[in-house]
Parts: sequence; C-alpha cells; structure tokens
Amino acid sequence: MLNRTRAGAFALAIAFAVAASPSSAAEKKLTVGVADALTGGGAVYGLPQANAVKMAADEINAAGGIKVGADTYKIDVIAYDDKANPTEATNAVRKLIDRDGVKYILGFCCSGSTSAVASFIAKEKAVMLVGNAAERSITTQKIPNLVRTRPPADYTGQAAGTFIARKGHKRVAVVGALEVGFYSQYVDAVEKELKKAGGEIIAREVFSLRDRDMTPQLTKIRGLNPDAILVVGYVEPAAFVYRQSVELGINVPRYGFTSGSEEQFLRVTTSEQMEGVWDLRPTELTLLSASKNGIAYHENYTKMFKASPSPSSPYAYDQLYALKAAIEAAGTADNTEAVAKALRALPVPPQVVMQYQPVDGKMFDENGQAYTSNGAFQWQKGKWVFVEDLPSDAKAYSLFLSTLK
Amino acid sequence: MKPRLVNLAWLLAFAALATLPQVLTVKYYLHLSILALIWVIVAQGQNLIQGFTGYVSIVQAGFMGIGAYGSTLIGIHYGWPIWATITAAPLITALFALLTGYPSLRVKGHYFAIVTMAFNLIIVIVLVNFRELTRGEAGISNIPKPWDGGRDAYFYLALILAAGTTLLAALIARSRVGEILRAIRQNEDLVGAIGIAAWKYKLFAFVISAMYAGLAGALYAHFQGFINPEIFGVAQSLDAILAVILGGSGTIAGPVIGAFLVVFLPELLRFADSFRLILYGLILVLATIFMPIGIVGVAKTLLAKVHRLGVRHDR
Repeated sequence: MLNRTRAGAFALAIAFAVAASPSSAAEKKLTVGVADALTGGGAVYGLPQANAVKMAADEINAAGGIKVGADTYKIDVIAYDDKANPTEATNAVRKLIDRDGVKYILGFCCSGSTSAVASFIAKEKAVMLVGNAAERSITTQKIPNLVRTRPPADYTGQAAGTFIARKGHKRVAVVGALEVGFYSQYVDAVEKELKKAGGEIIAREVFSLRDRDMTPQLTKIRGLNPDAILVVGYVEPAAFVYRQSVELGINVPRYGFTSGSEEQFLRVTTSEQMEGVWDLRPTELTLLSASKNGIAYHENYTKMFKASPSPSSPYAYDQLYALKAAIEAAGTADNTEAVAKALRALPVPPQVVMQYQPVDGKMFDENGQAYTSNGAFQWQKGKWVFVEDLPSDAKAYSLFLSTLK
Repeated sequence: MKPRLVNLAWLLAFAALATLPQVLTVKYYLHLSILALIWVIVAQGQNLIQGFTGYVSIVQAGFMGIGAYGSTLIGIHYGWPIWATITAAPLITALFALLTGYPSLRVKGHYFAIVTMAFNLIIVIVLVNFRELTRGEAGISNIPKPWDGGRDAYFYLALILAAGTTLLAALIARSRVGEILRAIRQNEDLVGAIGIAAWKYKLFAFVISAMYAGLAGALYAHFQGFINPEIFGVAQSLDAILAVILGGSGTIAGPVIGAFLVVFLPELLRFADSFRLILYGLILVLATIFMPIGIVGVAKTLLAKVHRLGVRHDR
C-alpha cells in the first residue's frame, strides 16, 4: 500500500515536472545593468534614473516580458554606483560586462563618467544606452553600439537663446557650472542667438558643484545691472543662486538650465524665492506638459519610491522600452550587434514618457542621438508650469551633429 | 627575517602575480589588478617622500595628472609613439616637481602638506580651465592603447613597471641616500648640524616621488583611454597617502599591499550598495587607529614575537 502511494506520488511529481517544463524552458532571464551616480553630487540625476529603470523592468515583466520568437525574457536589473567618477564608472561597467555577463547597460547621468565608458564600449559585445549625460561629444564619435535619449546641451541652448532674445533682453549675465563642458556649450549656443538679435552676455561667473555661497558672483552681477540672469548647473547650487539672488535684491528675470523637480528646489529655496524663474530645457517630465504616459509614470514612480521623479529620470525609463522594442525587432537578445542596429532603425515606442522628435521617422538618428522637443517652463505658485515650446529643429541639428568628430 | 628569505618572498609574490592573467577567468579582476599595479607605482613614490622622509605630500594625484595629460597631449599633437610618451611623462612631471618642490620644501609638517595640497588644487584648476589644451571637464577620449587595448599584455607591462619601481625604491632605501632620508625623518636639524644639505635630499625624494606619479599617470591614461581633471583631484592624493599608511609607512612591501587594498576594497564593498563608502571609511578609520604601523608593520611585529618564542624553546 505504501509502495503504491509512493509510486503514485512519484508519477504525479513526474507529471507536474513534464507539464511545467515547456513554459519554464521558454521563459528566460535577461539581466540589464545600470551604471549611474547613486551617491554623491550626481545622485540627484543618477538615483532617479536607476529607479526609473527598475520601475520600467517591473512594468515590462508584469506585462509579459520581452518576446523573442517562442521565448519570453523577464528582466532583471543590477545597478552599480559610479559616483559620477570616470574610474568608478569604468570599474562598474567592467564588472557588469566581465563578471555579471551583462550585455545591455543603461543609466549614465553624468558626462565625465559616461565619456570614460564610451571610450571603450565600441570594442565590447554590449550596448550602451546613455541617459541624462548631455556632453555633445558622446554622440559625435558615432559609436555603433551607443545611443542616447537626452539631446545635447547646445541643441537646447540654441532654442533657449532664441527665446531669451525674443523677450527683448540685451544684457544677460551668466552664472553657472561653466567648468563643465556641456553647460558652457549651452551658454555658447545661447550667446550665438543673442548676438544675432543684438544682445550680449556681459558676465560669465562660475560656481562649482559643491559651492553653496553664491553671493560674491551675484554681487558682481548686481553691479553690472543686467537685463536678465541665466543660471546653468546642477540643481542644488542653482537653487542657492535663485535664493540668494532674491536675498540680494536682484529683481530681473531669471532663466535657467537645471532640470530640477519642485521637490529638489524646495529643499533649498522657498516657493516665493523661485516665483517667476524660467527653466529652458528639453520638454522633460512636468505634469502640466506630460502625456498620459508621463502622468502614469509620475504616479507609479511616486507610489513605488515615495518621492517625486526628477524631470530627467524618464530618459532612463525610455531607454528600457527602446531596448525592449529593439530586441523584439532584432529577434534576438544575444546578438548585441543586431540589437544595436535595430535601435538605430527604431520608431519611437508608444510607451515612452519624453516627447521625442523623430528624425526620418526614427527615435535615434545615425549618430545614435534622440531629440526631445524643448520647452519653456516657469515656476508659478510652487509648480513648474509648461508655458510654450521652444523653437527646435531636430533634423537640422542632427545634420550638424553628423559633421562633427 | 633574513634577506634571502625576503628576496624569496618577493620572487614568489612576483611569480604569483605573473600567473594572474592565466588564473583569473573573470577579466574584471584583471582590470582591477592593472589599476592596483598602477597604484603600486603611485604609492611607492608617495612612500619615498612620506614614509622615508617624513613629509606628507598631498599632490601625488596632481602629478599623476601631469603625467597623464603630458603623455596624451604629446601623442595627440606631435604624433609620438605611446612608448615615447610614457617615457617622457615622468620627465615632464620631474620638471614641475623641481619648480614646485624647491619653494614648498622650505616649510615643514602641516604647512608642507597644505602647500602641496594647494599645488594639487592648482593643477586641477588649470586642467579644468585651460580648455583649449586639455578639453576641460569633458576630458580627452579615445587615448591610444597599446596592443589594441589587450588587457593581458597591459597587465604584464604594469607588473614589470611596478616591480621595477619597487626595486628602485628598495635600492634607494638601502643606499646612503635612503639612510639620510630616514635621518631627516628622525631629526632634520641634526642632519643639518653634521653638514648634510638636507634640502637636496628632500628635493630628490620629492622629484623621484613625482616621477613615479607621472609614470603611473601615463600608464593610467593609456590603459583607460579617457582622462579628465576629476580623476586627479585631492581625493586621489589622499588615496595615495592611505595606501602607504594602510600597507606600512617606510617599508617596501607596505605600498604594494596598500595599493591593492585601496583599489580592491571599495569594489569588494559594492554589495553594501549606498553604505559602501561609509563601510570603506569606517574600515580606513579603524585601520588607521588600531594599525598605525600598517599591515606590514603588524606582520613584522608578529614574526618577531614568533621568532623570540622559537629562540626560547630552543634554549
């Protein structure tokens, strides 16, 4: 009797195993890596990006994963901190590729660390998807296995310069992280447009990422009687500029290029001190300008991480949806070359949050660069309010980018 | 420990390291080992001025930067081959060290440390702002790599240079110059009183230390293929000091062990996620408090105790 019971149980176990085997054989795991600034000064951009990738992975897995032929891939995310430091970023990516066997690496908020990885990624059987890092040269190298979701800073700077000139400002003072390449590129592009309209930049005052007291720079600027101030830099020091400009009684229009959320600014300033400030940047995540996807993204992110997403964080979220679409289009998750090619041929996936401007119907141009529209956002009563689109020509800029080396 | 045994230990260590490219199946560890060997050169240089002479210099990473940018820019603008630029890097750095060493070595103790730290800051500021030459914060990408970036070959290059610079440091330490450097550390006034021009020896140690850093900087640049000013900041100079303290200040083996710790420890702590740096800092603080003589110092003390016990038993 006991033997019969055992035999029955054994047969039942076999039957279960056989029944379960087809589905488990077809369901695979795709590990994607994130290399980003999870600590340090760059974390205001890097940490939300890493969170966004994890959230996108959860959503894709819940919706059935990535379909490649008969196989379904569920996404697993490994995130390493690169502290926005080139050596750390190289170590993190080497670990992802060499030790963890990762083929798809996302994130990359900051230009120095991204450039370090970009300098060797072409030789790897891997695909690199760059997010918030805005240094132009990242996509002038035409690396076949690298794409970037954020447009270069001077693409936005050109549009911002036109906007500021149209406002009638002739004497603009700049204060910012001008030691950082992409910020100075943004300002150069603004200056070019201002000059066309007979305006000029009358001062270029510098702050570093760790500076908190901007009164010396602002006092000098106040003495020059500018028509307007342009603030370019990371969120926290920029917030100190806005706060201290009010404290010093500077009463001229303030423009910026920071991509900070309300929450991030309000850690340093009050809403009154921010009132009227413009942020001239890519049309990133701002609830009043967001699509349905953007609103859902904001809600889900807030629920999942108990904090509002930074406006630039969807660059990383969109990376994963672009990667999913490319893998499905290529019909392989193993052949990174085919996936890289598919990324270059990809139309804008419907799930993305940012408002991309496709070039020749494709999300990424031949340089691997994506373009969003640019927008003028204004701080009104505690919120960033989308006011209008900035004049941007993705196709023309893409042609210009192709001429650079 | 008898000299023969010491030499045998060194040979065994070299042989063990030489097998790493064959033994390590995960090339990420080889990547870290190359970085660690580059840091061995940096730390051996730091040890000459800090460990032997007793002057804590906080400009080693700055000198690395001069070597890295020197080698890279000569290659870009004059088309020199990599070997020539790597050879030139320590010489360029030596020139800068001569110019900065002479005035800064006129002060002692904390003042010297502050002056050298200021030099490091100046170097970074120049690298950031002289954009026409250095490309500023954006850095220089696609720096040529020998052997088309082959890591195994580069490992052996780094190993040979790390071994060579370690041997040179040992020869200096055992020479009359080394004796004078140690005497300066013990009592500089006395050295002067017996008619030795201490400043010459201090300058020698400072310049050689900078040359080590310059060579390491060039090796770093051609290994990573990318440099920007951030890599050569004061934080990295502090890492060089830590490598010497952790390993064992004023010893030859200390900087080797310290360099590997400084590179591998933060990486091994990645499992701790955002607490990684807190853990790393805690380990460093505890090690500095409880092991001020470093790992090599502790090992020597233990060996001496074991030896004494052995002698007693023989009686």
